Amino acid sequence: MTKELKLDPRTKLIIVLCFSTLGVGTNQILVLFFISVLALIVAKLFKVDLKRSLGKIKSLLKVLILIALVQSIFSPGQPLISVGNFNLLTIKGLEKGLQFILRMFIVIVSVTIMGTSTYREIIQGLVQWKLPYDIAFMVALGIRFLPMIREEIQDSLTAIQLRGIDIKNIPLKERINIYSYLFTPILVETLIKAERLAAAIEMRGFRAYDSRTSYLQLKLKSIDYLIIFLSLGLIILIFIKIYT
Amino acid sequence: MVCIELRQVTFQYERGKRIFENISIKIEKDETTALLGPNGSGKTTLGKLMVGVLRPSKGQVYIFNKDSSKMAISEIGSKIGYLFQNPEKQFFTNSVYEELSFVLRTKKYHEDYIKEKVDKILNTFQLQGLERQAPFLLSQGEKKRLALAAILINKPDYLILDEPTLGLDGRRKEILLDTLSKLKKQGIGMTIISHDDNFVKAIGDRLIGLSRGEIVYDQRT
Ligand SMILES: Nc1ncnc2c1ncn2[C@@H]1O[C@H](COP(=O)(O)OP(=O)(O)OP(=O)(O)O)[C@@H](O)[C@H]1O
Ligand SMILES: [Mg+2]
Repeated sequence: MTKELKLDPRTKLIIVLCFSTLGVGTNQILVLFFISVLALIVAKLFKVDLKRSLGKIKSLLKVLILIALVQSIFSPGQPLISVGNFNLLTIKGLEKGLQFILRMFIVIVSVTIMGTSTYREIIQGLVQWKLPYDIAFMVALGIRFLPMIREEIQDSLTAIQLRGIDIKNIPLKERINIYSYLFTPILVETLIKAERLAAAIEMRGFRAYDSRTSYLQLKLKSIDYLIIFLSLGLIILIFIKIYT
Repeated sequence: MVCIELRQVTFQYERGKRIFENISIKIEKDETTALLGPNGSGKTTLGKLMVGVLRPSKGQVYIFNKDSSKMAISEIGSKIGYLFQNPEKQFFTNSVYEELSFVLRTKKYHEDYIKEKVDKILNTFQLQGLERQAPFLLSQGEKKRLALAAILINKPDYLILDEPTLGLDGRRKEILLDTLSKLKKQGIGMTIISHDDNFVKAIGDRLIGLSRGEIVYDQRT
């Protein structure tokens, strides 16, 4: 498999929607696991650089793992490990934690699959689905803004440490206090950027005419139809299997 | 005394071209060094490398004879004050007073002492009457002065100032020159990144010219 699979962004959107619906719609670990593997295979087909994407959200991953741990520790049920009278880890807790991790994994992989289309293609896909252009544009802008916010956070973290505050080595309570300071610059900078962007697109006559013509036209090929059909078939099948 | 040294530093942005190739500089603490050069020549990048905000792709940066890759940013920050080209990047609170005092407060200084320090620095930078104003709503020149004040209140040993005169009017530039000269007399060395030839010539002891990531001249006045 050296050739990269090139699909319509709408097809990818449907695949991703199927994955995430399944991910949210089921509690069964086996199914979740199956979907995770499937999502991984699809991501590989699209040549997603998973290592790089995961590396980018390292700190988020840490938080997710922490949440999973907390969830599994504080769940009632049959004990797996217990200290004295206190149940440290229960089967139910372990299940919950695993479910959470798998779900998050599915969502993250899905998002990276979407990332293989340019944002221009995604807008065009949504527009051709008869979504109003304004809304499609907003969705795409939102996607574009995410990495920018990440950069802002990084910059602000550096700047506050340059003030001589050692974030890593202060008590938790104060650390939370310091983190709250970070909200101000991140929010303000993002709002300023958004405002500038709004002014810039207004100046270029955004929404001056009701309908827009576009050079880029997407066409669903037979492979797209096949994959859409397969994904929808799969999701229906799984749901029937779960609920009967 | 050498305060910052770059040893054969190569640097490249994550998504960008190579900016520096094997560049070495020694910055002395007791003189004022000026970095000059056209837009995009790499002055800001060099400044950020010097203070550890950016890490070299190859080579080392030594700060007071210590390998900066082994230092926490906060450790560097308590020795070296860095003024960002865009001062908005370094504002964290909703009032000028808070902005000047919050670091001292995290270091558990007494409130009376903090007030005294803040009042003094407000005076030096002519920011009196703006204590309750939000930093983000200040004018460009006021922002630069507040950012500088917030750095100096931490008593750094060395300063790196990226375009400190940007947005300042003639009178304010003179006052800044005066303030910086006083600091210099107190033994605080500095590197000034600037386009402002007159300003730099008035205060600089050593002029380093950059062009496309290379040092094109390095002279003492
Ligand atoms: N975050 C970044 N990612 C990629 N390239 C960058 C980044 N920041 C700067 N550059 C590039 O690095 C080069 C040097 O930029 P730098 O900001 O150091 O220049 P400068 O000398 O400070 O310019 P100015 O006088 O405009 O402040 C420029 O060509 C710029 O496009
Ligand atoms: Mg610059």
